[in-house]
Amino acid sequence: MLEQTAAENMEAKLNDEINTIGKSRSLWADAWHRLVQDKIAVSCLIIVGLYALVALLSGLGLIAADWSQEVGPSYAPPFENWDYILGTDLFGRSVLTKVIHGTQVAMSVGLVSSLIAIPIGVALGALAGYFGGWVDEVIVWFYTTVSSIPGIMLLMSIAFILGKGITTVYIALGLTSWVGLCRLIRGEVMKHKNREYVQAASAIGAGHPRKLIKHIIPNVTHIVIIFTSLQFQVAIKSEVILSYLGIGVSGQPSWGTMIDDAKLELAREVWWQLAGATVAMFVVVLAFNILGDALRDALDPKLKGKS
Amino acid sequence: MYKFGLSFVMAFMVLFTSCTKKQNFKEKVLQINVSAKVKGLDPVNAGDTYSSNEIARVYEGLLEYHYLKRPYELIPNLAEAMPTVSDDELTYTFKIKKGVMFHDNKCFPGGKGRELKAQDFVYSIKRMADLNNNSTGWWLLDGKIAGLNEWREKYNGKPANYDDKVEGLQALDDYTLQFKLTTKYPQFLYSLAMVYTFAVPREAVEMYGEEFLNNPVGTGAFMTGVYTQSNTIEYTKNPNYRDVRYPTEGSEADKKKGLLKYAGKKLPLVDKIKVNIITESSTSFLKFKNGEADFSAIPKDDFNEVVLPDKGITDAFAKRGISLEITPDLDITYIAFNHDDPLFKDNVKLRQAMNLAYNRVEANKLFYNNTAIQAQTIIPPGIGGYQEDYENPYHEYDLEKAKKLLAEAGYPEGKGLPTINYETTATTVSRQMSEFFSKSMKDIGINIKVNTNTWPQLTQKTKKRQAQMFGMAWLGDYPDGENFLQLLYGPNASPGPNGSNYNNAKFNSDFERMKNMQPGPKRAKLYAQLAQRVAEQAPLILGVHRTSYVLKHAWIKNYKFSTFNAGHAKYYDVDLEKKKEVFDSGILTKELETKTASN
Amino acid sequence: MSNNWNYIIRRILYLIPVLLGVCFLVFILFNVTAGDPVLMLLGKHGSPEQAAALREQLGLNQSWFMQYVDVVKSAFTFDFGRSWSTKQEISSMIAHGAIPSLTLSLPAFFLSTVTSILFALLVAFYRGKGIDLFIRVTCIAMMSISSLVYILVFQYLLAYKWGLFEISGYEFGFPNFIYYVLLPIIIWVILSLGPDIRFYRTLILDEIYQDYVRTARAKGLTEKKILFKHVLRNAMIPIVTYTVVQLPFLLLGALLLESFFSIPGLGGMTINALNSSDFPVLKAITILSAIAYIVFTLIQDIIYTIVDPRVKLQ
Repeated sequence: MLEQTAAENMEAKLNDEINTIGKSRSLWADAWHRLVQDKIAVSCLIIVGLYALVALLSGLGLIAADWSQEVGPSYAPPFENWDYILGTDLFGRSVLTKVIHGTQVAMSVGLVSSLIAIPIGVALGALAGYFGGWVDEVIVWFYTTVSSIPGIMLLMSIAFILGKGITTVYIALGLTSWVGLCRLIRGEVMKHKNREYVQAASAIGAGHPRKLIKHIIPNVTHIVIIFTSLQFQVAIKSEVILSYLGIGVSGQPSWGTMIDDAKLELAREVWWQLAGATVAMFVVVLAFNILGDALRDALDPKLKGKS
Repeated sequence: MYKFGLSFVMAFMVLFTSCTKKQNFKEKVLQINVSAKVKGLDPVNAGDTYSSNEIARVYEGLLEYHYLKRPYELIPNLAEAMPTVSDDELTYTFKIKKGVMFHDNKCFPGGKGRELKAQDFVYSIKRMADLNNNSTGWWLLDGKIAGLNEWREKYNGKPANYDDKVEGLQALDDYTLQFKLTTKYPQFLYSLAMVYTFAVPREAVEMYGEEFLNNPVGTGAFMTGVYTQSNTIEYTKNPNYRDVRYPTEGSEADKKKGLLKYAGKKLPLVDKIKVNIITESSTSFLKFKNGEADFSAIPKDDFNEVVLPDKGITDAFAKRGISLEITPDLDITYIAFNHDDPLFKDNVKLRQAMNLAYNRVEANKLFYNNTAIQAQTIIPPGIGGYQEDYENPYHEYDLEKAKKLLAEAGYPEGKGLPTINYETTATTVSRQMSEFFSKSMKDIGINIKVNTNTWPQLTQKTKKRQAQMFGMAWLGDYPDGENFLQLLYGPNASPGPNGSNYNNAKFNSDFERMKNMQPGPKRAKLYAQLAQRVAEQAPLILGVHRTSYVLKHAWIKNYKFSTFNAGHAKYYDVDLEKKKEVFDSGILTKELETKTASN
Repeated sequence: MSNNWNYIIRRILYLIPVLLGVCFLVFILFNVTAGDPVLMLLGKHGSPEQAAALREQLGLNQSWFMQYVDVVKSAFTFDFGRSWSTKQEISSMIAHGAIPSLTLSLPAFFLSTVTSILFALLVAFYRGKGIDLFIRVTCIAMMSISSLVYILVFQYLLAYKWGLFEISGYEFGFPNFIYYVLLPIIIWVILSLGPDIRFYRTLILDEIYQDYVRTARAKGLTEKKILFKHVLRNAMIPIVTYTVVQLPFLLLGALLLESFFSIPGLGGMTINALNSSDFPVLKAITILSAIAYIVFTLIQDIIYTIVDPRVKLQ
């Protein structure tokens, strides 16, 4: 079997290190312990939780459901009126309400695209790593092919072909982000399949599906967790780019469309939509970034402080 | 090291930003900004206004529009005179000007441009009919010239034989060209002023093959080398241009504006044209302010900086010698219902209710800075069929009446009405417009779902009749009400230009009767009646007729706005002394600096 | 050595199935799922008759298999036909677009790489200290802002308001192009500082924890000497290989930057093609960038195997 790239070699090296720790029940407890000791990480976790709550409430229509209401004059500046504390947009809609509604879009884009990428990445990665041989060859060929096309081209093509709308954003982001996860899982599973505990499972007559699902996959979940926290921030940032390219969310406010609006607004010195969306986005993406690092450190102490 | 990085960047900035490029005061160079990509310089593929304008600098046709006269009037260009028309209005005979030379080009023997002949028009128009070229202008002549459709069909899928005669398109001798039409078609003459039918030399087409679009060879006032797809195109004056003079006739207003000062002068007046393609409107505007472009439109968001509420120009701009030309454009914006959909087809009251709920005044303010004219019918001002005093009863903003009609339509407060899909394009402004529409409809209880598309996807949806509602703008192809009324003509339904698929037997037969009448007050009156009758049926939600606001610098002479401005660059002049004066005074840049300081 | 050659040949042969796969994806995306482009190409007055003729001319009424063969053929001959929207030869469009793209991306890439490595060395030197923490936090913070915001704000402030740079546009020929690419280059460098510093820092720290560093330290070499003489030299291997694999992306330039600053490069061309459903151009760009990526990863792999004795070939 051919190894693809040096980058992959490096990933394999990282995997080695991940593996040398040896996984056990207590590892999760250890990791959790390490994570909660990290005050910054805990704050980030809380921030992410808050955003998720806001997104949920907005999704249920409990807050920011009236984002399309006109509450003031067109382009009213911020901090002048309590009804629209962050100012208004072209139509006199409250920027604050739009930012809140945008949270729902952002969090759902992260969540759904992860939910699409994870099954694909885990299933293909596990199959390739576990069975090896031609299955592996085919899967490696497949993801090499996909990863040869620059991500942005693939993203644009898929979004373009599926037409516009939030579903498109979910699918396009999901379908373009599974490769990295797949590679890591494959490498990880390859290491695990010859471990004693798996051998033991075969000895007592466990079949392939059982060994794979019951024994191996639970031991690679830490990769999935790290992946998810990174995927959220990638997805949130990508939504902005897709909006600029005109293939983003439509019919409802999102941070991406608000930033895109600023393209025209800045010329008349209207900066508050841009600022509102950027700050909202900055906080949550920063939280995810730090959380991602902290998770990596917690689940893999050997790499602590390295990246 | 941090410091080092920073100082590095700073050094970089200082090094390159203090120098600006020099203006040229020796040659008369026209500097024009164009806002979209130019798709090659082949007349048969002049799909859009931008490409047409570029093509018309190099190529010419039989007819053109008079530069100054309004309403628009056709005058001969390469034709010696307007054609003689037979009594049955089917045969048009043109005399071609003698001694018109093509640009020198290596496609001709010895590289010298040869004389233009009537046969060149026969060839050029056949090229437009040739299915292998798939000209987007074919609709102009489709079914109109005797034998041309048959010729087209004969060579469907194989190389066309241009020596094969077409009965209705013949050169009787080197300077006589005869068209035989299949039916009365007074709009035919307009197509001879459109870029599609401009004269191209066969030698060039055959020599350059597919690269012909990058190697323009025409008879026009300007010529250019190989078109290189970069974002700039440079033209130089055609040294062998025939004797063409600046028009001597014009209205009193033209005279007052000094547009007749050049009467009788030999054209073209400038030495060079430099065209810059810049797609961002705000960027293009800044280049204009710096004097790197001679004309500019006003970007929506810069409007208040330039124009006073009484439509005058602000001091800051007046001081720089910049003047403003306001002219209604020949267009209409509208939101179409798809009449294939039974929801709209049979429900006049629903359509009227939606018309009444659409706040045109607010839309005009938000999107056009109050510059546009509210559309009362589909025919814009400036052509026969527009009636200034007519007011459409369904075009005022009246929520009460709208709600009442909605109830009468069977959907009190929108109950029972399914969510309506509205298709739009992805640009920021059209997204904002669709949000505005959706908000307007929500006020009477109608739910709109907005779908964003790329422009081609939107076209595809409308052409395949899949769009339920969509926004559109129609820019006139020629100054005739027929070109606007046909947007509602049943047989023109998608994939034709009638994207709304409106099909009303009475309207269709009235339209058919009127369109073949010769232009004149009688036809104009009938057009007006027809347009008003159909407008009250609310087949579309009509928006506005846009107005063109053009800014120009003090050194530009003879500018007059025209919707059909292809080929007009030859009339413009650059006053080099004035230009030098403006630049030397530093007023352009000074203004910029004070603005920066105040910010 | 023969083992090495064996490996390299197999690696090169492996390009073929990957390229076929790329072609297949491109075919599925643009020929099968993208729908019929003909009507939109004909514009507002198009007729069904013209649509049929155009379909024929564009080869869209061939069987799926033949259409796939066409895609493969174009990938191996580099003959991508003509653009639908500009009617130009795609190979010449790409040749034209590569120059502006490279004038932007090469200096930007060079500057950002050098700056990032310098910063990475700095933080590696002071690892665990305040400045390390500060730069790391700044990196993460910078990465948490959308690249679009950087472009918007920088263009607005530096070019519009303060007039320090050309707002947008491009001119061919030295030194005219410099005015136009300066601001995009600065934005590019700022955009890549965050992720790059983090990445190079990891690479350098990777080396610092190696045994030879411990040995060197035991020998009493100063930290500075260790860092610059040993660590940097060894870290250069992954740095160079990482850099090599970035090169193909430079050709594509920066999609957003080019589009925002109206630079007529390949990135701007791609976005134009996207906006006008110009499938042949999108196909060509996708295939070419995939080929570039495959070839450069191959080169990277070969360099890696030659210069780094620790990597064993299979």
